Amino acid sequence: MSHFLVFVKKELVEYARTYKLLILLVVFIIFGIMNPLVAKLTPELLTSFMPEGMFVTIPEPTALDSWAQFFKNTQQMGLIVLLLVFSGVLGTELTKGTLINLLTKGLSRQAVVLAKYTAMVLVWTLSVVVSAMLTWIYTVYLFPDGPMGYLFVAIFCMWLFGVFLLALLLASATMVRGNYGGLLLTGLALVILMVVNIFPEAHTYNPLSLGAKNMSLVSGTVDPSSLYAAMVVSTLAICGLLFLSVLVFQKKEL
Amino acid sequence: MEIMKEYWPFLVPLILAEFVLMVTALVHVLRHPNYKFGSRALWIPVVLFVQILGPIVYFVFGRGDDA
Repeated sequence: MSHFLVFVKKELVEYARTYKLLILLVVFIIFGIMNPLVAKLTPELLTSFMPEGMFVTIPEPTALDSWAQFFKNTQQMGLIVLLLVFSGVLGTELTKGTLINLLTKGLSRQAVVLAKYTAMVLVWTLSVVVSAMLTWIYTVYLFPDGPMGYLFVAIFCMWLFGVFLLALLLASATMVRGNYGGLLLTGLALVILMVVNIFPEAHTYNPLSLGAKNMSLVSGTVDPSSLYAAMVVSTLAICGLLFLSVLVFQKKEL
Repeated sequence: MEIMKEYWPFLVPLILAEFVLMVTALVHVLRHPNYKFGSRALWIPVVLFVQILGPIVYFVFGRGDDA
């Protein structure tokens, strides 16, 4: 256990030193501020780009548009940046060989894998919290309209999806050598999930649903109970992937 | 300028965040002569002129070892 905590701390220090923390925080801060601003300015931009004499009525933006931006940006660019930044999670230390010393000195491999995962999840959580807080503050500032349906559930679902992706990345990284192989395998797994999603029956259980229904949750058209199955499946998948990562990493030749 | 007056609570922190990212990346480029690929002549303009994405691409792909 103490190994685990020490290694989590070491990982966090490393993220700070290798600018990973800085990149993620700045990106998520920028998103957090930009979401409400983009929502507010989109109609004005559209009208200024319209050819002369053309009139289109664009509905006045609301807080909903601001949160739509939040979920769109965080899930697309945000998750891509997250995966890119953490793509070398095991690879760099394995190719450089810095991990071997520690492992031969008695650090358990299980602790390494779990600590790396914990550190990544901590950083992701911090990023989501910072981004959501900024979006919230600026949304209230710009759009003083009504309360939000299931906003917290929606944010939680997005967070859980990120946690799931990180587990996928870690499992992939234990199976493939090099820095970008893990990223590729993660992409492949996502494509498989998307193919599965073609069948409407799968929507209830597919972890991808966690990222797809955010706005329906916020606008209140979807009840959180419809996502419970996907949440449970994702949580089980996360545990399974972690178990797999530990298992593969323990058998792996370094 | 009209837009600056109305939205300064947004623009000031945004510009600040971008600036911090740019300066950290620039300092890093200037202090470390070795890159995974590319050269100083490539990374300085990328970091300076590609907003947000430039510094990120540098830190993720271009940054050499700290040694």
